[in-house]
Amino acid sequence: MSARQYLPLVLLLATAPCTAQVTVPVNGPHATSGTVYALTGATLHPAPGETIGMGLLVVQDDKILYAGSQASGKVPAGAVQVDFSGLHIWPSFVEPWSSAGIPADKDRKPNERGIGNWNGAIRASTDASALYAHDKEANAQLRDLGVGTMLVHRMDGIARGSGAVIALAERSRQLDVLNPFASAHFSFRKGTSPDAYPSSLTGSIALLRQTLYDVEWYAAASGVDLRDSELDAINTQRSGPLFFEASERNDILRAAEIGREFNMNFIVKGKGDEYARALDIKATGMRLIIPLTLPDALDVEDPFAAMEVSLAQLKHWELAPKNAAMLQAAGITFAFTSNGLKDRSAMIASLRRMLAAGLDSTTAMAALTTIPAAMIGMGDRVGTLEVGKLASFQITGEHLFAKDGVLHEHWVAGVRQVLVPDDKQDVRGTYDLNLQSRILRMKVTGETGKPEARVSDPQDDSTSVKSDLRIKGELVTVVFDGTKLGINGPVRLNGIVHRGSRIWDGQGQLPGGNWIAWSAVRQGETPKDRKKKDDDRTLDSLYASATGIPWYPLMAFGRNMLPDSETVILRNATVWTNTDRGIMRNTDVCLHEGKVFAIGERLDKSVLFPRMKINVLSVDATGKHLTCGIIDEHSHIAIARGVNEGGQANSAEVRMGDVVDPDDIDVYRNLAGGVTAAQLLHGSANPVGGQSALIKMRWGLNGEQMKIAGADGFIKFALGENVKQSNWENDRRRYPQTRMGVEQLMSDGFHRARQYGSDWALYEASLPKPSVRKLAKAIAPNKPAPRRDLELDALREILDGKRFITCHSYVQSEISMLMDLADSMGFKVNTFTHILEGYKVADRMKAHGASASTFSDWWGYKFEVENAIPYNAAILWRQGVNTGINSDDAEMSRRLNQEAAKAVKYGGVPEVEAWKLVTLNPASMLHLDHRMGKVEPGVDADIVLWNTNPLSIDAKCEMTFVDGVRRYDLSQDAELRKAVADERERIIALMLAAKKAGAPVRKAEKKERPHWHCETIGEEP
Amino acid sequence: MKRMQGPRGRSRSGRTPLLLLVLLLLSAPPAFAQRPTPAPPQTKSILITGGTVHVGDGRVIDEGAVGFRNGVIDYVGYAYGVVLKYDSIVDVKGQHVYPGFVAVDATLGLAEIDQARATDDLNETGDMTPEVRAITAYNTDSRIIPTVRNNGVLLAQIAPRTGTIAGTSCIVQLDAWDNQSAIVRADDGIHMTWPRAYQRTGWWAEPGETSAEKEDERSKQLRELRMVFAEAKAYKEWIRSNPTKVDIRKGALLGLFDGSKTLFVNASVAREIQEAVLFVKEMGIKKLVIVGGYDAWRVADLLRDNHVDVILRRLHSLPLRDDEDVDLPYRLPALLQARGIRFALSYTGDKERIGMRNLPFVAGTAAAYGLAKEEALASITLDAARILGIDSICGSLATGKQATLFVSTGDALDMRTNNVVHAFIQGRRISLADHQKALYRQYSERYGKP
Repeated sequence: MSARQYLPLVLLLATAPCTAQVTVPVNGPHATSGTVYALTGATLHPAPGETIGMGLLVVQDDKILYAGSQASGKVPAGAVQVDFSGLHIWPSFVEPWSSAGIPADKDRKPNERGIGNWNGAIRASTDASALYAHDKEANAQLRDLGVGTMLVHRMDGIARGSGAVIALAERSRQLDVLNPFASAHFSFRKGTSPDAYPSSLTGSIALLRQTLYDVEWYAAASGVDLRDSELDAINTQRSGPLFFEASERNDILRAAEIGREFNMNFIVKGKGDEYARALDIKATGMRLIIPLTLPDALDVEDPFAAMEVSLAQLKHWELAPKNAAMLQAAGITFAFTSNGLKDRSAMIASLRRMLAAGLDSTTAMAALTTIPAAMIGMGDRVGTLEVGKLASFQITGEHLFAKDGVLHEHWVAGVRQVLVPDDKQDVRGTYDLNLQSRILRMKVTGETGKPEARVSDPQDDSTSVKSDLRIKGELVTVVFDGTKLGINGPVRLNGIVHRGSRIWDGQGQLPGGNWIAWSAVRQGETPKDRKKKDDDRTLDSLYASATGIPWYPLMAFGRNMLPDSETVILRNATVWTNTDRGIMRNTDVCLHEGKVFAIGERLDKSVLFPRMKINVLSVDATGKHLTCGIIDEHSHIAIARGVNEGGQANSAEVRMGDVVDPDDIDVYRNLAGGVTAAQLLHGSANPVGGQSALIKMRWGLNGEQMKIAGADGFIKFALGENVKQSNWENDRRRYPQTRMGVEQLMSDGFHRARQYGSDWALYEASLPKPSVRKLAKAIAPNKPAPRRDLELDALREILDGKRFITCHSYVQSEISMLMDLADSMGFKVNTFTHILEGYKVADRMKAHGASASTFSDWWGYKFEVENAIPYNAAILWRQGVNTGINSDDAEMSRRLNQEAAKAVKYGGVPEVEAWKLVTLNPASMLHLDHRMGKVEPGVDADIVLWNTNPLSIDAKCEMTFVDGVRRYDLSQDAELRKAVADERERIIALMLAAKKAGAPVRKAEKKERPHWHCETIGEEP
Repeated sequence: MKRMQGPRGRSRSGRTPLLLLVLLLLSAPPAFAQRPTPAPPQTKSILITGGTVHVGDGRVIDEGAVGFRNGVIDYVGYAYGVVLKYDSIVDVKGQHVYPGFVAVDATLGLAEIDQARATDDLNETGDMTPEVRAITAYNTDSRIIPTVRNNGVLLAQIAPRTGTIAGTSCIVQLDAWDNQSAIVRADDGIHMTWPRAYQRTGWWAEPGETSAEKEDERSKQLRELRMVFAEAKAYKEWIRSNPTKVDIRKGALLGLFDGSKTLFVNASVAREIQEAVLFVKEMGIKKLVIVGGYDAWRVADLLRDNHVDVILRRLHSLPLRDDEDVDLPYRLPALLQARGIRFALSYTGDKERIGMRNLPFVAGTAAAYGLAKEEALASITLDAARILGIDSICGSLATGKQATLFVSTGDALDMRTNNVVHAFIQGRRISLADHQKALYRQYSERYGKP
């Protein structure tokens, strides 16, 4: 029986009309204020880890006057004394993540009034204290969970506004709002904003960064003409506690980057999967709010349906209860949120699973009380039972975390709420009814609050008679006809139901008028109780047998231990060097400390590493081909929540580096296809797209670690049908709609960037030399700095030769246009990607110095590729253009070796040169050819071993090294397949057993992650 | 696979393949924008000799020969065993002779440019349109077709797309003046898509809607399907007694019940396949082919017991599920073969028309992942023809069959070596020109030697 069922009957006893309530008129006579309550006899748990056996808690109005042992305390004169013997008193929980009482913003229209931000997702002036209204149902639910104080905010937008601390006492709002401006809230979700921008995670991050730069500029610059209520709001909020909502574990690291950039110390609310990146999160130093909710088991009885459940889902089900314990072990400070929990019994069930998984109960208590109290800046007012703090506490029958524990009373800021009134106690069960002379059996059934009883001879059920049972408060009367039981006439009993115990006793009258003392003692459990208890025991032992540990990444083909860099000699291979040494036969290659260490015939370990004790793995590569790793110049794998920021035609400010997703199975699949590095490009929806991320396939590491450190900056541009939205139906509003407009939009961007650059140069020149800056500043304050514009920053870098364009392009006219534009602005277009009509302007490209990164044989999928030919690569290559073949597709990416082979078929490119189309040439486009794209001593040990000529249809990748780390290996892959199968079976068996034992179960659902292409618009298509 | 060993060293002297290629290129029509002229009927008998003959049924004849006259093959065997006289002898020593590859479940000629609506005749409006016939819209002059032929694909089943019942397919040869003369078998099958068993519900960290309501929607769809087919079945008697009360939709489905049409059902996951097989059995439909068939190997017993063939989806795809072996799509043919299921390979999917020229390489992948090379070949030749019911006239190199075949200088299933130098459809030597080769020549000439 959960306490939830009592809820409609909760009594709100306003014990203490407060003296502070001076501004609010009272209807009728004023009650006396200052009434003192003394709670005696209970076990007191004033703070996490502290227990006082025979405690005394003295409360006046909303404050605690005394909290300690009864022996050393004193009940003040005139206090109302209440005996809570046998019960426990705990501080109320502090809920840091709530929107109770905050209305959702429905049907938003673009802002037409006031001086709010241009973007509807920036709504920092939203004031939770102004929006708050008592939501009686939500509040009652929270109090039932044990929450006495909450931080509420409107969970809507990227800059969401301020939060308010609310006491759940339901007095006047003026009293209950303990702090109207307690916090500021941020996220990566645009929420209900009606604006098109941002439409992706990368756009959300860019918008937040730009906004925060705007705040700095706005606050610092005296010459700013505009007024913006949201920038004002953020500026005042920056000093307070700052909260961030993450949608998944990788978002936490993304929030940390923002925190680092703007010196903001976020408290991040996670999703409960933080254990899978616990060490990375620990390194950020941020505090977390983690959910108490746990994922339900999935219905996996139909083996075919179960196939649609991924190992990632299965593992998360098993590991989520261990999240808190693992974060505790990692030394991360966290608070719990009850957000999403149905009722107290669900919360206790969750907590018990977490405790069973190793969470320390003191830590758990702190995560429910003192830690969230400190997070919301209320550490001195709530969270513990201490003198002067708010009188917010829970009174329970047993230990707070006890199974089926009942919350008897919950006092919030001195307002007493009796949740389990005496006449609403659950008294059902089977009793031995002792009438002095005889022992009968009494069965109490019916509903709580409306119990029914039958009395019978213990040995003979046929003697059962209905009795009249009434419970009022603690008083009980039982009346039954004893005739069948050998007692001649009615038996009338009166007595007391002892709270929290199994015993009733009192006095009664037998037929004939004899008074007797009687008692009834509840026996054992009902069969249903017994089954539930058995089930619970089974579940406990099941959960205890859940021995899974995280994999990195947390999904199929992840590993529980990440591999290290090895020293390896691959012996007797056919080596495609991509250098002037060409293809070397019967050659050994040694990898050491992440680099190619040596190449030669019969390499000798003792010569290579004289006097070194070193473990060298020797691989017989006889008959096999060894190459450098494939580099995919155009990839959209491993990108989280949107590859196109489609909200603006110029989105130079967005960075794919912010949204690298390490948990994409396509990374592993790429490794299995011999791909070791890729450029993750923004999509092609905008003439000026976003900044690229250059990554290596470091499967298992986090997004930041996958990026290639020290690589040059790149940016995606796009031309043609996509950017002019030719294939969008009936939407012709956005500039540009023609290739003519594309040119002008780009030209405009560069002219603005040039002006921007000179503004900054002027500003920087006007600054005094650093050595005299302090002195100079004292004499004359600095000129205000120009506004930092992330979009123009990127374009300015292009003009300055610090960022390089990869341009999506098809037809010759637009290719020429961009080269001409670049020439006129004094820079070079680095790479044309797709470039299917490159063969028509190969000579011009050669002259300009642009590279070409094309498809092997795609054409005909839209009008602008009607004249694409598979001989494109061959012609460009023959004309001396640095040419590559890319995928733009997660599947083709893992067969790029075969796409290169098509250059042999279409146009007769020699095999050695065809191979460079997917290795050395893209490395050169990405300015990485000094360390990738070839096999020679000193370059990165990004090495692939093939069973045969890599250009052959029979070619299979057998080993892939990235930085000397074996990240894919055919034999290890076989082991991983088995591990995946075993792990699935193990967890599925657990789930089936859990379902049988009554664990909540949800229908299995197929969950796929989207595969991005250039043209995918939006966050989750 | 059986490999016949012929006596070596009987090679005839002949023109080198390179020279042949040059000659062919030179003889191509100059106007690249136009499609190559369809070849006239075979008048002179031809013997192709000296090459490795890949029969299509699993056999290989080293130094073999294939002879044909009046469009029909009259010799397949060792080169030394030829006794008949031929007007023209083509020496292909060191080269490979293949039956024309068969594109199953294709849409060639139904759309030209994916994103140009005017060129798109793939999808009729309505959820169940069995009455629409692919042959009506099939464009023999598609610029895509020559590029596909030039990699060895010479026959194709053309099928409409989308909706629960998309329409009626036809089988064509890829060198014709008009759609009527292209027909190999008209109206051979009905193509439908089984209601999807699983709907996407967001990605794992962010579950979308639960699938409970989708289930309701789905059972409604299945009820409707059952009704449509039951009514079609009854229609046979109905139209006999009410000859003027024509219902073209029901009429289009009739052939399914007497076996004159095959039902091609697109179904990928196990549950869809199970349901489709049971449904077809219940309805009394004579011949079922599962298209897609990703999970077919998992329900192989059911398929085998019910004589259901499979057309596998494009092997060059990602695994459907994150947890699956990275190479599972590549191994599907071997998995089906080991379980005794007959199958063909398709190129169905994104960019399927322009990509159809890669059909041979999909078979090559099947060979790299567990099939013998000739078995892989059969999955785009004889087995494909069997599944389409045209194996009596094409699909392999056998006397009496149509002379639809080609010669490649190297292994045609490998992109590195696929190089088609002669191709014949029904004995007619077809042009190997296409607009892409013409553009290649044009621009190579423009730049001159680098």
